[in-house]
Amino acid sequence: MIDILSIILNTCPLFIAYQIASIGHSVVEKSGVLNLAIDGLFVLAISVSFMQAVYSGNDILSSILLSIVVTLLIGLFIVFISTKLPVSQGAIGLSIMFICYGLAGILGVPARSHQGSTGLKIGFNIQQNIVYSTIALVLTILLTILIHVIIEKTKLGIAIRACGENPLHAEALGVNVLRIRLIAGAIGYGLIGLSAGLFELLYSRLWREGHGMGHGWIVLAISLSSGRNPLLCLATTFLFSTLYEYRFSLLVFGIPREFIETLPYIVAILSMIIYKTTPLGEKLKPPQYLGKPYFKEERTI
Amino acid sequence: MISINIAIVKRKKPLPKWLIPLLSLISGILTSLLILYVVSHGSINPLDVLIAIGNSITQPNLLLKNYAMLLVIGCGLLISFKAAIWNIGGEGQFYFAVIGAAWFALYSGLAEIPIINKFLMIALGLTTALIWILIAALIRGYIGLDEVPVTLLMNYIAYNIVDYLVNNHWREQVYRYTRTPTIPVETWFTNIPFTNATLELLLITLVTILLTWIILNYTYIGLFIRTMGSNPNVLKTIGVDVSKTIIYVLIISGLLIGLAGVSYLAGDTHLISSPVIAHTPYYGYTGILVAWLSLLELKYLFVTTYIVSALINAGINIQIVGVGGASIVNLMIGSILLTYTILFVFHEYSVKIIIKK
Repeated sequence: MIDILSIILNTCPLFIAYQIASIGHSVVEKSGVLNLAIDGLFVLAISVSFMQAVYSGNDILSSILLSIVVTLLIGLFIVFISTKLPVSQGAIGLSIMFICYGLAGILGVPARSHQGSTGLKIGFNIQQNIVYSTIALVLTILLTILIHVIIEKTKLGIAIRACGENPLHAEALGVNVLRIRLIAGAIGYGLIGLSAGLFELLYSRLWREGHGMGHGWIVLAISLSSGRNPLLCLATTFLFSTLYEYRFSLLVFGIPREFIETLPYIVAILSMIIYKTTPLGEKLKPPQYLGKPYFKEERTI
Repeated sequence: MISINIAIVKRKKPLPKWLIPLLSLISGILTSLLILYVVSHGSINPLDVLIAIGNSITQPNLLLKNYAMLLVIGCGLLISFKAAIWNIGGEGQFYFAVIGAAWFALYSGLAEIPIINKFLMIALGLTTALIWILIAALIRGYIGLDEVPVTLLMNYIAYNIVDYLVNNHWREQVYRYTRTPTIPVETWFTNIPFTNATLELLLITLVTILLTWIILNYTYIGLFIRTMGSNPNVLKTIGVDVSKTIIYVLIISGLLIGLAGVSYLAGDTHLISSPVIAHTPYYGYTGILVAWLSLLELKYLFVTTYIVSALINAGINIQIVGVGGASIVNLMIGSILLTYTILFVFHEYSVKIIIKK
């Protein structure tokens, strides 16, 4: 029992970050917008929260807020372009990913130097603090339930899903596709920004160039292998966060460190394969219009 | 109340194809310069970056290595992208070829056999690249899992596998640095005087271009690739095994990228340093930009590769003077890709803003 509690406490910050990011990613993709920018956005949001924490003397609230705002603005741009223009959503996502990688370095490196000169420690350690960890976990689970209810039980959720399944039909039923996708984007990208801020300030509490790279893809794998269902994400997130947090325990079995580092990525691919090849994939199909261009073409001038 | 609507109108006559990459290069570079200026609070002078780019463009002898490498990788990605198979795992395939070539050069005992040693090294590099790409190809072909996350995640796995080898069995024993010993001189590619490229790399590049041209224009698989990119259902209708075609496409793509990997080891670094993620030239990712900007046309690949090579060299020059380096290159690659993706819409469409009262 103590061991399980200890695992939960140790895993808590990473679990929170992965879970919030994966439900955010799920909301975005439920609306039919392919989110291949996730890794870049995650890396940039981490860098932004680090930078703000360093320059503000570890003001956690403003650091997380800035992380949310930056991710939100870029995310809404992605949603707008993907909905209004007949563009390749994959290409938009990957190009934004590169821009974010670049911006993360440009913003983070000077902040890192500044931190080096001041010796300021950033973030807040909730690991092993049972009260803070419990509050954070409960809030994350409540947020997950709230998002699930919004998606499954509300008019807004039905509209979001309709835009993902077939925006042309949704429009015929009176749904303003752009508006709904922007709302979904605001929720989803806001959550991704929040999660990256929490990742930086509650979990890693350090920064170096390229910090966070790859975690966005793990989030994508969590979301995809859970069929973009926020409640199912809870289980997958727990698996991935525990695996990531405890991966170095495998060193005692003589498994080399480098192979242990690959485990989250291998499990990510395996979980996507399991999702694709089992009835789960059939039950929780991806939105039919995910990544497909939707735009209204005016044929006459 | 005023309402603003955006209407996408199909052009009667499309804009010239070459105009889009040109405009996206100019607007992408300007966008990234603007972003750099703003986020660096003026400490990165756009003029310095432009001068660095200008200097790079006018020094073809110093661009030759990157140009040839990116042409080879660009051909590999072009084949896959033309079939609408998004092989984003070029980095992994590149480094798996490096693994095969490094093992041959360091531990096979055959590295000093004249003439055939380089052929054997290339063959082994291609074999390891093939093994790596086959995993992604089978997952995509037979399970139908989207190749984008799979190939991307596999890059991180590949980096770690290389790191494992370099940090353990292949680590140089004199100073215990986290790198392999230098491969025997007999396996080095021959440097071309006054350039940074090698003779073998140029030959490999020529062969790759020729192969790509033949595959795309004169083979059944080339026909399938072009058809799959425009309408995969046609292939199913005429009874072509789409799964097998996808596997072949990824194999060809991975093998061509593997050729670049072997050339990188034998012609450039002559050793592998760990951690790979800190030392990689990111050719696998930059190749995406090159292929995309070429409009997936071999003839345009020559021009776009030259410009992108100049951008990379400019990035290196900037890094030397301490302004920003890899991050600036990433920002530029992203900005050009983004503007290209958006501007490509205007090739066939025009956008009209309609204001109604």
